[in-house]
Amino acid sequence: MRPGAARAAMRGAALMVAAGLLLAVWVVPVALTLLTSFKNEKEVLAYPPSVVFEPTIKAYGAVLTGPTNIVPNLMSSLIVAIGTTLLTIVIAVPAAYAFARLRLPGKKPVGFYVLATQLVPPIGLIIPYFLILNRVGWMDSYRGLILIYLTFSLPFAIWLLVSYFEDIPREMEEAALLDRASRWQAFWHVVLPQARGAIAVTVTFVFLNAWNEFLFAVVLGGATVKPVTVAMYNYINTEQTQWAQLSAAALVAMLPVIVLGILAQKHIVSGLSAGAVKGVSRR
Amino acid sequence: MSKKGAVRLAGVGKSFGQTTVLRDVELEIRPGEFFSLLGPSGSGKTTTLRIIAGLEIATEGAVHLDGVDATLLPPGDRDCAMVFQSYALYPHMTVFDNIAFPLKMIRTPPAAIDAAVREAAARVRIDHLLARRPGQLSGGQQQRCALARAIVRKPALFLLDEPLSNLDAKLRVETRVELRRLQRALDVTTVYVTHDQEEAMSMSDRLAIFMDGRIVQIGTPEEVYQKPATVDVAAFLGNPPMNVLPARLAAGEVVIGEARVAAPHLAALGTRDVMLGIRPSEIEIGAGGVAATVTLCELLGDDVIIDLDVGGLLVRAKASGRTRVAEGERVHARFDPDRLHLFDRTSGARIAA
Amino acid sequence: MTPDQRLAFAERPERRFALAMVAPGVLVLVVTTTFPLLYLIWQSLNNINLSMPGMDRFVGLENYARMWNDMRFWAAFGFTLIYTGATVTLQLVIGLAMALLILRIPRAQWAFRIAAILPIVLAPVVVGLIWRSLLLTPDFGIVDFASRSMGLGSHNWLGEPTLARISVIAIHTWQWTPFVFLYMLAALAALPAELYEAARIDRANAWRRFVHITLPLIRPTIVVVVILRMTVALSAFAAIYAATGGGPGTVTEIINLYAYRVSFAELSLGYGAASAVVLLALTMVVAGVLFRVRRAA
Ligand SMILES: Nc1ncnc2c1ncn2[C@@H]1O[C@H](COP(=O)(O)OP(=O)(O)OP(=O)(O)O)[C@@H](O)[C@H]1O
Ligand SMILES: [Mg+2]
Repeated sequence: MRPGAARAAMRGAALMVAAGLLLAVWVVPVALTLLTSFKNEKEVLAYPPSVVFEPTIKAYGAVLTGPTNIVPNLMSSLIVAIGTTLLTIVIAVPAAYAFARLRLPGKKPVGFYVLATQLVPPIGLIIPYFLILNRVGWMDSYRGLILIYLTFSLPFAIWLLVSYFEDIPREMEEAALLDRASRWQAFWHVVLPQARGAIAVTVTFVFLNAWNEFLFAVVLGGATVKPVTVAMYNYINTEQTQWAQLSAAALVAMLPVIVLGILAQKHIVSGLSAGAVKGVSRR
Repeated sequence: MSKKGAVRLAGVGKSFGQTTVLRDVELEIRPGEFFSLLGPSGSGKTTTLRIIAGLEIATEGAVHLDGVDATLLPPGDRDCAMVFQSYALYPHMTVFDNIAFPLKMIRTPPAAIDAAVREAAARVRIDHLLARRPGQLSGGQQQRCALARAIVRKPALFLLDEPLSNLDAKLRVETRVELRRLQRALDVTTVYVTHDQEEAMSMSDRLAIFMDGRIVQIGTPEEVYQKPATVDVAAFLGNPPMNVLPARLAAGEVVIGEARVAAPHLAALGTRDVMLGIRPSEIEIGAGGVAATVTLCELLGDDVIIDLDVGGLLVRAKASGRTRVAEGERVHARFDPDRLHLFDRTSGARIAA
Repeated sequence: MTPDQRLAFAERPERRFALAMVAPGVLVLVVTTTFPLLYLIWQSLNNINLSMPGMDRFVGLENYARMWNDMRFWAAFGFTLIYTGATVTLQLVIGLAMALLILRIPRAQWAFRIAAILPIVLAPVVVGLIWRSLLLTPDFGIVDFASRSMGLGSHNWLGEPTLARISVIAIHTWQWTPFVFLYMLAALAALPAELYEAARIDRANAWRRFVHITLPLIRPTIVVVVILRMTVALSAFAAIYAATGGGPGTVTEIINLYAYRVSFAELSLGYGAASAVVLLALTMVVAGVLFRVRRAA
């Protein structure tokens, strides 16, 4: 082998090793959780941590059917996430369309306002919500939680959808208008069917964010409304942590979002950067 | 008046914010006419068409459709159908549903829709493709589908914005003929936007030439070709376009650099500086005339385009392909004195000869 | 009619339609966001303590004055800046380096893309809990194990002030670097290859190619990434809450944690509100500056 080729091969190998190490940094914590979830009490405490052991699904049993199971919490999360998603889509789709396309005086500042609401830190909202919901008796209710979830899902969804609507050729609506469609018909029959993919992506990310929310849920939830992110603490007491059950619960709770994330992987970059890339539309 | 589709633009102007893109457009299109808007890119053709359609609102002047002031009328109330350059077919609908859409919007009964869609599709020979989606059609088929969607509800006015520009050269020429035939058969007023002069010349009853947001000439293709109103029109039309040379009129002669062409019939115009226009096909090589050097020969099958150096000026001639000249050869070029076009040196306006 | 009146008249149906489409969304946002924020500002001017109900009263700027002298608040403020600065810088540097590296091994890219999705989609609270329990617990966690195996000894990763701060920064960086990586990968892959070929012919070495070609081209992307990551870092909560709860003591408190603990552990909502207002202002200032930078970029 020529010396140049040898050096190139070395470089290639070094690259692969570096890449492999990096990959490990991101995979190991998740893999470790997976391993731990299949361990029994004794195995969990083995030191150094065992990699080869006899797997058991006891932890999953406890998480799904035991006295502190998280099934009601999964339901809670599901209700909050679906409720948030539906409301968000119904409100955000028309608004996004108008921002992307229609002429409206003051659209620019209003669009900017929507963008700015996306930046509000949750802690700034949770304090007033706590008092307001207490006063109107909406603590520990789905209504209350969904309401506050709209504060992050709506601006996010509007901006994500605006960038998609802008990509639909304007001529199609113009053709429809010339053919006597009303504005609403042009929107409903021509634009909306073409935005189905964009709406699916938006649904995915709104659902994901609502499912993963913790601060609002822990403060405004309670015995009735206790999403699964809060229920993780079922397995952590002051005396001891139930490692295997915590791991199993974490995996069960995160399974839906992992699946969604992998399904939507092509859109994850655009999906998580709504609004930042495209500014307020020109018209 | 029984026939529909008269269009009149009276002093129409259009500004987008501070930029004015259209001014003083005066235009009258007669019912049943095939009328083209021709001009270079950015001259305001599409904007004019969109103002007729109601997709843009004129900021000055008025739009009359069939005698009614339609300046501020929304697009749906104007009884126009439009074919866009991009076709704007609805990708999620089948060809059938695309063509049926305008009828559905005016609540036509389903049976009537079915019949009308089939008829329109048959007219443009896509009746075998009704179940497909636009994405599954070739460019030419998509174009036909857009045409069918436009004709299906028998509009009073048919607006086309460069509908052929996305087709390949051969198909374009074929479709041109078909489009013209279709328009004749339907007898519907058609406004046709193009920057292709050949298209405009071959298809139109009349045409308007746009330059820099103004109409510079309106007329039949023949009028416009034979009597271009300005130097710019002259230089825009024809392939290759007309030669435009600085020249001087003096005592019945046209002086072009060193060369002189006798033109006694122009003596009445006196002595003045002009721009001289002469079509390449009106220049004859060989039979006497001004001395010239051949700088380039370009054979185009039937014809040959010959670049000549006439006293330092470039002059193009078009001759039969059988003409034999070599580059560098010294020849004589005869300018037909009856075919000279004269324009004012400063304003560029045609000087009546 | 003047041209403007004309346009206004002709566009009236469109404007009405647009208004109808936008109104619900804007109204909901006003009600759910702006109104509570105004209430927050009002709260910050009051003494509201849940442990002493009925004692609420208007105190003007007293909460702010108290905050001015509150060393714990300033520590939280300082750590917010450190946390934001460190996590954003680390994400950017590591994410960009990873993207550059992975771009050179096209065959295994899919594995990295999938692996990168995982941390991004996990709930921050779950990430915090996993790190706290399975990675950082002394004598048990895999990080502690690695540290010992390398002869660095066992440490109380979340119990020792400096280590705890480093740990919460590491956790955030771990979770979000993959996002920057994916973002940069997309941006880099979109760069025209000819540029590089020209540079290679000019015998520019890899580092010079990066500094003189790649970096200027992806500058707008970097600005966008910084905006995104800063706003997320400034509103971070759950991962720190799960990992340290702000401790040991108060060393890992960022303003979010501080305001939360003051409000919901010490039950002084008025005082907590004041600190939240400060965070809100900080966020808006940072965002304003960044958006200006972006417009210039
Ligand atoms: N919405 C708009 N805002 C601002 N300027 C515009 C707008 N639409 C068109 N223009 C400008 O108006 C001028 C005329 O445009 P128009 O589309 O009518 O040209 P055209 O003759 O159709 O050209 P082409 O052959 O390239 O299609 C151009 O300079 C264009 O930039
Ligand atoms: Mg045009």
